[in-house]
Amino acid sequence: MSAVGETAQLASILQTASLLVTCGPGGVGKTTGAAALGIAAARRGRRVVVVTVDPARRLADALGIDVDAKMFEPHEVTGVGAAGGSLEALMLDAETTFDRMIIERAGDEAKAAKILANPVYRSIAGSLAGAQDYMAIERLHQLHSSGLYDLVIIDTPPSRDAIDLLEAPERLMRFLGHPIYRALTMPSRSFAKVANAGTSAFLWIVRRLAGPRLVEDTVEFFRSLSGMEQGLRQRAGEVADLLRADSTSFVLVSSPRSEAIDESTHLANAIIDGGFGLDAVVINLVHPLPPALDDSLDLDALGEGPLAEHVAYHRELLALATSERHEMAALTDVVSGVHVTEVPLLEIDVHDIDGLTRLAALLVGE
Amino acid sequence: MQPTWVTEATVLVVAGKGGVGSTTVGAAVALLAARGGADVLLISVDGREGVGSLLGGAPLDSEDRVLRKVGRGRVRGRTIPPQQAFADYLELKGISGVLRKAASAAQLDSIAAATPGLEHLLVLGKIKELERAQAADLIVVDAPPAGHAAAFLHSAAALQKVVASGPVRTQADEVAAMLADRTRCHGLLVTLPEETPVNETIELAYDLEEDLGLDLAPLIVNGCWPDRPGMTLSVTAAAKAQSTKLSSANRAALEVSAEFGRMRLDGQRRQLARLDELLALPRLLLPRLPTAHLGTVELDLLADALSASVEGRT
Repeated sequence: MSAVGETAQLASILQTASLLVTCGPGGVGKTTGAAALGIAAARRGRRVVVVTVDPARRLADALGIDVDAKMFEPHEVTGVGAAGGSLEALMLDAETTFDRMIIERAGDEAKAAKILANPVYRSIAGSLAGAQDYMAIERLHQLHSSGLYDLVIIDTPPSRDAIDLLEAPERLMRFLGHPIYRALTMPSRSFAKVANAGTSAFLWIVRRLAGPRLVEDTVEFFRSLSGMEQGLRQRAGEVADLLRADSTSFVLVSSPRSEAIDESTHLANAIIDGGFGLDAVVINLVHPLPPALDDSLDLDALGEGPLAEHVAYHRELLALATSERHEMAALTDVVSGVHVTEVPLLEIDVHDIDGLTRLAALLVGE
Repeated sequence: MQPTWVTEATVLVVAGKGGVGSTTVGAAVALLAARGGADVLLISVDGREGVGSLLGGAPLDSEDRVLRKVGRGRVRGRTIPPQQAFADYLELKGISGVLRKAASAAQLDSIAAATPGLEHLLVLGKIKELERAQAADLIVVDAPPAGHAAAFLHSAAALQKVVASGPVRTQADEVAAMLADRTRCHGLLVTLPEETPVNETIELAYDLEEDLGLDLAPLIVNGCWPDRPGMTLSVTAAAKAQSTKLSSANRAALEVSAEFGRMRLDGQRRQLARLDELLALPRLLLPRLPTAHLGTVELDLLADALSASVEGRT
């Protein structure tokens, strides 16, 4: 959306973006942050859907998501005070999305049923060569183009060095373009002629390692996918364009711990180098910085007791909070020009609508 | 002081939700065992190379390297890329050189590495080979973060369902047998005293113990503030109790930290009580260090704290 060098407040991003991608390392409250951003946007009158991959159970409950049910359509989240707007949530199930795609693309029901019943398909559906990530963006493309929402927020799985999700279309294309895949998807007669040494070796090794039955299933699975490649390739291109569109914003979520800051720095560079729009950084879970004590208190003379405990805690909190600010500076330097929002560690763990609403207010500075 | 879960079995799989510090705890355990004279091999499954520097050595790669020597003991470290595990596996199974070349020309290693389940099984299989070859006194395995940890450890069981025969099946059987044998392998779970990590740890503990028969070492609760019951008193009352006069600035500063600290400490007590109630595992508490930085100094402090915590329990 905005080029690096220009700042954009989270509040204005929520007002204008049509797709928002949150990313960051694990354990920094990324999913919670995505949900809170959804609430903030809905309260500004926008029709929002938040798509998550692996929400914690209590957060899922708060959003009305049943983690054991395989959902395909988003559910409405109630009680968020969305004046004129709305908030829906969806937990993405890669297998369900993959099945849907097969049914849509296979052309006829018999063919689809055959693929869905194939044991090789069943064991790899949703995760082969980054297919899980691919399914996530396939689904967000559908939601984005459905016309039902003003803003789609996608919470990506935790990632360290690169954003797997963004590379998913290319990885799937590379896989489909692999010579073995090509040979395996050819009609059987030409297959015998063109099958190269590599493909023969592949099938020989699969047979040798896992038995002849698996070979038959593998070949059948790949053949049944033939003809779908064109559609997949086109969709991958559309998604790649969508992710780089002006109305798409990336929000990087981190915590002030050095491990998280290191990972976030890598991620920030990956986002910027990939030509995506990094529009905001949120540093979550920041300890409050208490004022320092003046030297009117003689610490040496203070024996053990409740005041000593207060002083000891104050000292530790001050040291921790100070070092967090030092670590944060490293990330702030890398993303210079991008708006950085600090969100304090709350006295409570956030996992209900009230907590999310409070977090939403902190994010947009209300 | 060496806990039994470090000396009893060769393989220790360390797992926890992202952000709870399981990689750091794994490194601290490796250091603790090395201090006791053990030759320790730390394996990062998810390629967390940085843990090598944390131990004072080079970032990890697929070469087995010494990261740190402590008296008679030492910590070595490496990663296991699935591609390499596949190549090693073909060699081990006596697949001929010609065919191996064809396989590598066709980039079969990258296909195997990208096939879910198989990729994890290849890595676990390699760990099992290292255990069988007695490559170290202790092999600390830094598992992928939470959701993925379960998938990683379940890979053998999952493939047992799909593959009925052949070497892949044998491999899956052997890995499953290692995981379920408490004389060979333990699991070490790491959590924080916070709601979501506690919930996910409880779920993971039941999953690993009941479904895989993995024997669990005491639960490590990382990042605990010392419990300070005196902080329930107001700052003013606490000062009075110790007959100390506070400047108004100091009182205000202490009130800021106390207000935040009491709530967090309450939360911590609640989560520890939930663990008591819901998870029948002994616990070891590790302190939250008063810094956001993590380096070799901090790792030594954590190993000290781990050692003290183990002694406190016995």
